[in-house]
Amino acid sequence: MSLNGVPVLEVTDLRKTFGSGSRRVEAVRGISFRVQRGEVVGLLGPNGAGKTTTIKCILGLMQPTSGEIRLGGELLQGNYPRILSQVSGVLEGSRNIYWRMSVRDNISFFAGINGVSEAAGRDYFDHLIELFGLQEKRRAEVRSLSQGMKQKVAIACVLAKQTPLVFLDEPTLGLDIETSYELRETLKRLATHEERTLVVSSHDMDVIQDICQRVIIVSGGKVVTDQSVESLLQLFRTRTFRVVVAGSVNGWLDKALAARFAHCRVTRTDYQTQVEVDLEHEDHIYDLIDLLRESGAKIETLNQQEPDLERVFLAIVRRERGEQ
Amino acid sequence: MKLWVASKAIFYRNLVLMRSYFFNTISMLVTMYIVFLLMFYGAKAVGGASLSMGDTLEGLIVGYLVWMFAIMAYSDLSWSLTNEAQVGTLEQLYLSPAGFKWLSGMNLASNFLLNAVIAFVLLLGIMLTTGHWLRLDLISLLPLLVVTVLSAYGIGFAMGGLALIFKRIQSFFQILQFVFVAFIVLPWDRFPWAKYLPLAMGNVLTRRVMVEGTRLWQLPFSDLLVLAGTSLFYLAAGLVAFSTCERAAKDRGLLGHY
Repeated sequence: MSLNGVPVLEVTDLRKTFGSGSRRVEAVRGISFRVQRGEVVGLLGPNGAGKTTTIKCILGLMQPTSGEIRLGGELLQGNYPRILSQVSGVLEGSRNIYWRMSVRDNISFFAGINGVSEAAGRDYFDHLIELFGLQEKRRAEVRSLSQGMKQKVAIACVLAKQTPLVFLDEPTLGLDIETSYELRETLKRLATHEERTLVVSSHDMDVIQDICQRVIIVSGGKVVTDQSVESLLQLFRTRTFRVVVAGSVNGWLDKALAARFAHCRVTRTDYQTQVEVDLEHEDHIYDLIDLLRESGAKIETLNQQEPDLERVFLAIVRRERGEQ
Repeated sequence: MKLWVASKAIFYRNLVLMRSYFFNTISMLVTMYIVFLLMFYGAKAVGGASLSMGDTLEGLIVGYLVWMFAIMAYSDLSWSLTNEAQVGTLEQLYLSPAGFKWLSGMNLASNFLLNAVIAFVLLLGIMLTTGHWLRLDLISLLPLLVVTVLSAYGIGFAMGGLALIFKRIQSFFQILQFVFVAFIVLPWDRFPWAKYLPLAMGNVLTRRVMVEGTRLWQLPFSDLLVLAGTSLFYLAAGLVAFSTCERAAKDRGLLGHY
């Protein structure tokens, strides 16, 4: 589907406006991005950022106000529903599957309406059931399953369609920590072993950080960042060090730290003191250790603060909104 | 896109769901039988003995059969569309490369077969109860019923389209079931235009086949033409209305909302 460097998906200046006059809401305001074959891309954004609207416009479930969407170089608009053999998606907030049908029947049905027959897909359907750990429930009606299992079935049904491009809109929404972790691990295996292009929209930063190579952050209907997860984290990597010392330290250290470092926080508990310092240069770590030694403090731990996607996301979105 | 694979999937799904909702199917059958009995004994009480012996009662059976078929056809579309939107599978059906209209068509075809079995069982029960045996000339009857219910499908598509936008209009669906009765019983001598209403001509021709024993090819060509014309007109109008509503729903982002 991606021949000669043609992106699997290319969205150009996508706009979607609801209502008119005083009720006019611009949900998507000129979103553009490209996704290459085999990429696993995260779509991040606060509530109402326009993620789901963008996905629904791409899938043809919503009519965009303007803009262009191309799949493997082919214009989507005007080519529905035929072109849907190339793209599928699990949609947020929907059951997506029939609760009165068994796991296996659901998989077979949704593959079937995508033109994948039982004979052609049997081995792959069984592989999906195994991948999602649903072997024992394959003949069970979906309504008897837990929320996490239902979500796994919904994802398996979409994967069974065997489309090269798959959208997963909030795949872990409403799941408990353990189930969310399990599903994340499964998606990670899927992303590693299958040559699928995945676009994952989620509020769950761990999902994006774990699975995706690239992240597109959307806020206020616009793309505010589009780069690899690694480079985004690198961009926000700070020289913040946190030192935990045993017991309480004398007041002299507070003053000495404040005099030496521009950004420094000291917090005390009954048993230990935590010092957090933003260094201007890596070498200044030695100055910090010297000061701690002089004060007689006994260092328990020292580590550099690693940025996580959640902090990066909040920083970007707040900056975009003009907040501190 | 292998359309036959998609069609097979729809047939199989309906079979599985029917099995799952078996009690529902049986209760529908029983309800329809009871409703007929009420009408039958009501008509007998009002019309007296002459009514039970005459054509009117046979007309009542045929009218009820056509109405029931129409209701089932119309409900299959409007209710199932509302239901799919409610449970959240509608958008997934829209994501099929076969196209939602094709899937709906296949859904109707498979339900028609199921409805035919239900109607046959019900008709058998009715004929046993009333002692009035009608002619079941399937070669003449099936094409007539298929063409007759096309107009009900048209109305079903239009209502389904409205349901995409306005969502909770089930009470309107129910009222419309009684409007269907009016389509069937309006006397043509007083309202000549009534023959152009949905189901009207189909009902009259079905009566001729089932009561008088007329074969399909013996029916007046002009009547068959009116039947085909009106049915196709209502089906086309329903499809246009559905497409218009579908576009509006997609524009407003209402397809998956309920």
